[in-house]
Amino acid sequence: MDLENQARVKALAEQYGSDDLIVILGGAEAESCGLTAETVSAGDPTFAGPLAGVPLGLKAYHIFELKDEIDPGIYDEQIAMMEMVMDADAIKGEVTTYRGA
Amino acid sequence: MGILAGKKVVVLGDRDGIPGPAIEECLKPLDAEVVFVATECFV
Amino acid sequence: MRFPVIKGAAYALIHANDMVLHQGSTQTSEARLNPGSEYLKALPAHLRSFQEVVAYPPNQVYIGNLRPAALKAIPRPWRENPVSGAGREGKFGEIMPLDEFYGLVKAADMFDLVLMEGNYQKATAAKLATHSAVADWKTLAALEKGYAPPERIRELVAGGQAEPMYLAGQLIGCVRKAHDFDAALSEHVMFENLVSKASAAFCLSLLLRKTGLPATAVEYIIECSEEACGDMNQRGGGNFAKAIGELCGCVNATGSDTRGFCAGPVHALVEAAALVRAGVYRDVVVVAGGASAKLGMNGKDHVRKGLPILEDTLGAFAVHIGADDGLSPILRIDIVGRHRIGSGAAPQAVMRAIVTDPLDQGGIPLADVDCFSAELQNPEITEPAGAGDVPLSNYKMIAALGVTRKDFAREDLAKVVERIGMPGFAPTQGHIPSGVPFLGHCREMMLEGLLRRVMVIGKGSLFLGRLTNLFDGVSLVVEKNPGGGPEDQARVGRTRVGLTLAGSEHGEAEMLRGALLAQERDPAVEVVAIGRAAPPGLALVEAADAEAAREKMESMLASGELDAAVTMHYSFPIGVSTVGRVIAPALGRGMYIANTTGASDTSRIRAMLKNAITAIAVAKACGNETPSVGILNVEGARQVERALTDLRDHGYPIRFAASGRADGGAVMRGNDLLRGGPDIMVTDSLTGNVIVKLLSAFTAGGDRETLGDGYGPGAGEGCERIINIISRASGAPVVAGALSYAGACARGDLPGRVAGEFALARKAGLDKALAELAGPVGPAAPAGPAELAGPAGSVGPAGASAPSEPAELAGPAGASAPPGPAGAGALAAPAQAAGGERKEQTATPPPPKAVSEELTGVDILVLEDAERALWRAGIYATAGMGCTGPVILVAAADKEKAIAALKTARFL
Repeated sequence: MDLENQARVKALAEQYGSDDLIVILGGAEAESCGLTAETVSAGDPTFAGPLAGVPLGLKAYHIFELKDEIDPGIYDEQIAMMEMVMDADAIKGEVTTYRGA
Repeated sequence: MGILAGKKVVVLGDRDGIPGPAIEECLKPLDAEVVFVATECFV
Repeated sequence: MRFPVIKGAAYALIHANDMVLHQGSTQTSEARLNPGSEYLKALPAHLRSFQEVVAYPPNQVYIGNLRPAALKAIPRPWRENPVSGAGREGKFGEIMPLDEFYGLVKAADMFDLVLMEGNYQKATAAKLATHSAVADWKTLAALEKGYAPPERIRELVAGGQAEPMYLAGQLIGCVRKAHDFDAALSEHVMFENLVSKASAAFCLSLLLRKTGLPATAVEYIIECSEEACGDMNQRGGGNFAKAIGELCGCVNATGSDTRGFCAGPVHALVEAAALVRAGVYRDVVVVAGGASAKLGMNGKDHVRKGLPILEDTLGAFAVHIGADDGLSPILRIDIVGRHRIGSGAAPQAVMRAIVTDPLDQGGIPLADVDCFSAELQNPEITEPAGAGDVPLSNYKMIAALGVTRKDFAREDLAKVVERIGMPGFAPTQGHIPSGVPFLGHCREMMLEGLLRRVMVIGKGSLFLGRLTNLFDGVSLVVEKNPGGGPEDQARVGRTRVGLTLAGSEHGEAEMLRGALLAQERDPAVEVVAIGRAAPPGLALVEAADAEAAREKMESMLASGELDAAVTMHYSFPIGVSTVGRVIAPALGRGMYIANTTGASDTSRIRAMLKNAITAIAVAKACGNETPSVGILNVEGARQVERALTDLRDHGYPIRFAASGRADGGAVMRGNDLLRGGPDIMVTDSLTGNVIVKLLSAFTAGGDRETLGDGYGPGAGEGCERIINIISRASGAPVVAGALSYAGACARGDLPGRVAGEFALARKAGLDKALAELAGPVGPAAPAGPAELAGPAGSVGPAGASAPSEPAELAGPAGASAPPGPAGAGALAAPAQAAGGERKEQTATPPPPKAVSEELTGVDILVLEDAERALWRAGIYATAGMGCTGPVILVAAADKEKAIAALKTARFL
């Protein structure tokens, strides 16, 4: 996960608190999505960025997981095509792992 | 209600997946405040 | 609509392993944030050797040795399946090792910022001096001096004054900052910019060498990398393009930079095509060099997963866009795909904007695109980094979009993806993978008839610049040229031959009758009339008068819109003369007359020797692979016969004709001329000229030439264009014959044939033979050494009264190099053609101008002296041969000044 983005997420978590803040991902690959989800919850596993050793406990969702929350027309227009392109099941499975609950 | 109700949202999109602004579009009608949008690029 | 075409593409990779460590931004950031980093310690063990990089299958695809589809047959991981026997040289380019590249960086440095250690510098200079693409860079001279002491380099780097240049772990040089504190000119920025400039110039030089495009023909350069150059007052001022062109000798080019992240190159292609289509510039090159910052960008993931650092090469490309040549793939600039500001960021919105919208606009079904050259990042690099297979995901998006639009059935999705795509093979150098890496293969495959239509796609992450959250995308459709490939052309008759109409003594109507007659008789020729009007059935390019027609003809030949042309009253430079074709009346046999106008050499006898070789090339180009050669019994015939016999004895394959007279022999009498004894009759130009007129007009009473094919194509070493000459007295049948003759020369690759023929003759000792003919041969002068050296008992007048020519005009031994200065743009650059030829009377030409005024009256024996005298007077001039004798060509503005100078120097 980009180092600058780690710093921004850290600051926002401090500002709003972990309960009110949610992270939504648009990543193309299960592995990188999982890595980002892990970084914002348990800390940066690569120990490269500001979140190294900082478990913010944020919940991350891939946008594919939120399909039911979103207006179907908008989802269709913005996201749906990529369900055919990306491996949606693998991504969902991976991201879920890091939400704990 | 939904997972997003009343939440602050950080959007981390991907150039070669779903870009940040496309996710942001989806959130507009919802009761959620987008506080940060970024799109990562690996190439 | 005639669309611009892709005339060539070149690709370069530079193995920059040391730069990964010291200049890759992932590594430099890590070193700054985390100095004791385990990653940085582990990284060197993950670097590849040059041979591994060369044999890496995607790299071989990039430089053109393997087609992209070949990667489908090579099992992944490709890094474990090297291409056996792979070399650094590619069909479209080259992979260069870092030691050589640093030398190019030094040669690209105009401000003395690059310091290099002496031993390294000398070794590199020696390697580059023989490199086929860059050896002629003038700035390589910088490597011959200014060796920097190693302690000075260490000091500058340690003091933060310079960016280090490492080679195999050793510090061998550095790039200094260009300003004390200006961040835009820091050592880091200067390093990146010089690397970008040097790699782009290297690739442009490869393009020029591989496609034969002369550096001087390039008119505009668009550079489209992702760097910025300027100082703190204009950080992105530019202009990389001109800096690159300067290195490559593109003296006639201007240029500018285009930016658009990874979409930049496709934007640049659209611009180049539009400029060519609009006629603003004729030959435009799109070029980009590599990005040192992106080296090892995903290195952490690669090292973490135990992979080699695969982002260890700089990438560069250069593409030549020109006017329609009837062959090369066309660029459909009428249906350019564009991501509009209001298009939105959703992937399907992006793909709709750049893929289906333009196709819908052009009425092209999605299924009618053979393949998509989307972003071509090598998946072996991106997958371990979590970015997936970028090209594959593009093909999936296109196919998925097609499913939502019902272009494809949902169950066919996988099949469609397989059909429309190709594996990615480009290094992740940002702009480099932008669809453009396929253009070289695409051009070749379209010429071979393997592809009909390809869409090239570039996409850019504009949000990285933090000025906008917008995305970007642009696309361009490339199609097989409807003019057809070479075979199609031969079959359906598409050789385009221009005909200038103005100037005939019989009026333009006679010329047009000739044009129609040619099209009727010769289905392989399409005549393009250049003049005021033409009847239906004849293509017309408008030109108000003879001068305008000549200019039009020249520019259309240069752009490839014409394959050949027929004109009258045209001056060729010395070194180029025409091979005519007549019908010998006794038996009605065709016969080449070598030569008929122009001068192959300032010495008449040397000219005759060259005429023989040129004529053999012409005959071969027109389908006679073993023409018989006779020498007309004019003064000097025996010397030419001896020289040709010598060449034959030393391996030059020449077949002599035998005279029909009782005593035989290869020297021909007037009777043989009427009988058409030899296939080629060698003579001097003025005699040849008389013969053509005689044999073309004798049945028509003299004032109208009605027989034969005219005075033939101008041919000579370095002459790249096919211009056939007719006379102002030529009638319609001769005009028609000349058009067919020119078409045949174009199809038979006359310039290539001439080069090949001279190479053969040179191997057999042509230079020596010419040197031996350098003696007295001019009119009315005492006998000289050449005939004293000749064998006794030669028949005919040659030995008896051979006149002489001033020795200093005869040129140095082996004066067979490129012909004289370019006249009327038909040849290579004057500076090159005239360079270092004469021992005396040397002079450097002033900057070339368009020369349109003919000055007559200078004796041919001193013609080149006169030319040089004008150069020394600061007047650009070229020596040439007009219809009626030698001429000096100057620009209209210089005419009076030139006449005065020639009078003062007693040339007039």
